[in-house]
Amino acid sequence: MTTGVTLPVQPPVRYAGFWAGAWRRFRRNFLAMYGIIFVSIIVIVAIFAPILAPYGPLETDIQHTLSAPSLLHLMGTDAVGRDLLSRIMFATRPMLLVGVITQVISMLIGVPLGIIAGYAGGIFNYIVQRLVDFFSALPWYLLVLFLIMILTPSLNNLIIALTITSWVYPCRVSRGLTLSVREMDYAEAARALGIPTWRILINHILPQTAPLLLWSFAVGIPTLVFAEAGMSFLGLGIRPPDPSLGQMLGTAGQFWQFFPHMFIFPSLMIILSILAFQGLADGLRTAIDVNVNI
Amino acid sequence: MLRHILRSLAGILWVILLLSIFTFVLSRAVPGGPWDVGDIKFPLTEHQIDLYKAKYGLDKPILEQYLLWLRNAVTLDFGSPYLAPEMTVTGLIMKLLPYSALVGGLAATLALILGIILGAIAASKQNSLLDIIINSFAIVIGTIPGFVLGFLLAYYFGVKLHWFPTGGWENQPKYLVLPVVAYGFPAIGGVARWTRQCMVEAMSADYVRTAHSKGVRQAGVMARHVLRNAAIPMVTSFLPMIPGMMTGSMFIERTFGIPGLGQYFVNSANTRDYPLIIGITIFWAVLITVTYLITDILYVIIDPRVRLEAKKQ
Repeated sequence: MTTGVTLPVQPPVRYAGFWAGAWRRFRRNFLAMYGIIFVSIIVIVAIFAPILAPYGPLETDIQHTLSAPSLLHLMGTDAVGRDLLSRIMFATRPMLLVGVITQVISMLIGVPLGIIAGYAGGIFNYIVQRLVDFFSALPWYLLVLFLIMILTPSLNNLIIALTITSWVYPCRVSRGLTLSVREMDYAEAARALGIPTWRILINHILPQTAPLLLWSFAVGIPTLVFAEAGMSFLGLGIRPPDPSLGQMLGTAGQFWQFFPHMFIFPSLMIILSILAFQGLADGLRTAIDVNVNI
Repeated sequence: MLRHILRSLAGILWVILLLSIFTFVLSRAVPGGPWDVGDIKFPLTEHQIDLYKAKYGLDKPILEQYLLWLRNAVTLDFGSPYLAPEMTVTGLIMKLLPYSALVGGLAATLALILGIILGAIAASKQNSLLDIIINSFAIVIGTIPGFVLGFLLAYYFGVKLHWFPTGGWENQPKYLVLPVVAYGFPAIGGVARWTRQCMVEAMSADYVRTAHSKGVRQAGVMARHVLRNAAIPMVTSFLPMIPGMMTGSMFIERTFGIPGLGQYFVNSANTRDYPLIIGITIFWAVLITVTYLITDILYVIIDPRVRLEAKKQ
């Protein structure tokens, strides 16, 4: 990798294909493995929240308001007696929805735009480039905040606002990659054989961009999870009484000073979740390093 | 060079113009105006709202409103906030900016100093245990949202230990400590990782190997060859960070109750205070785009190999 440092001699490894190699590199990464395990837990909890949660997310226990963690309420209750554990379990749903759906829509918009702009060039490329410039000139939170204000806060509108700002990254990645793949010999050969452009795009360009696109899918999610928590914290995301981790912090009000369980558990959950998604993305980056195998 | 600056300035104007149209049209396209949103104890009658709208010109067609706003904005007159008619938008921004700039500036300084030191250590001890520890620390700290860290810090150092106030603002340094740490610490992660990457790349260059083989001492190689080359990508990505952080974080300002720009931006949007929304948005956009331009120019100055015109092609 570098000079000045002697790397241990690696034993020869039988080449087992790109994805097998990627998985081998991924497995060695501690944070990545933590990420994939914790993300799986989040997904399971989100899907089975109604079965797993001991109480309903809106169910109040008037006799035990603001109670500290106990056997009855493992993470305590909030000011109106709602069980925090159950609320945190249900809060994984908006978190995943915002992260995954936004990223899926962003990819569906950004990747075709990027590939076509990179392949075709010309006026279409110019327009896409100016749009990308416009959206990257501003920090995402400014635009999102502004859009949310206009659209009024709700889960759907948060997804819309975040999509408007986050299609840019996959678009940039796929455009850049297309620009280099376009010049490869096999793309040239395909053109010489008279294969229609759309088939070159789908059969030759898209598979080449796939590993990097997988990474750019993963890398956007921690930011989106953060965005959901942050916007809900400011009162601009998930509206009460529906649970969201950020909103639990935002609405802890004055109570948190005397009832620390009200913010410690949501805080930990936010940190562990973002760390898991980040670890997953970082692990993918090293696992499918473009310099290693493409 | 001059041509590039002029072209960039034209690009900035284009972005700002587009953004102002975007902001203007969208904010007015939404139902609910400044006088009928939120929890109002004594709602105004239709007639009163109409009078207010007429007073601020909101009854005119939107194109006319926009052109009027644009004409004033060119002379830096952004009007008055509806909720504080005695002030101008520019005046209010200038009054709020010092709070945000102080907290953000200190946080950026903290992040840069600690981040660069950690990154440089990690790079020079590459692939060692220390490197792995620093790298993991950088990832973990980088993923903690500032407002979450803010709560944890405020609880332990404010409520438990009584070292620092948990929030609020008075002109005393102790009110600054927790917000600065909560804002600056998560930024350390990114700075350290980028510093490490830049230095590792600079260390893998051929002339570094040459210097090593000539027998130049490790410290000499680091100072003369590695640091100077690693500094180029570092400066260009850390410089925009400073004004970016100085404009304030709405999350941190909300957590600690700092009366800064971010806090007011959220409020202005909540109350549909159109002049203030557009004023703060444009202010932020100008600041950020101009910083990028300055970074571009600086890029040429510190790296004589770069030609901006050639970069465009």
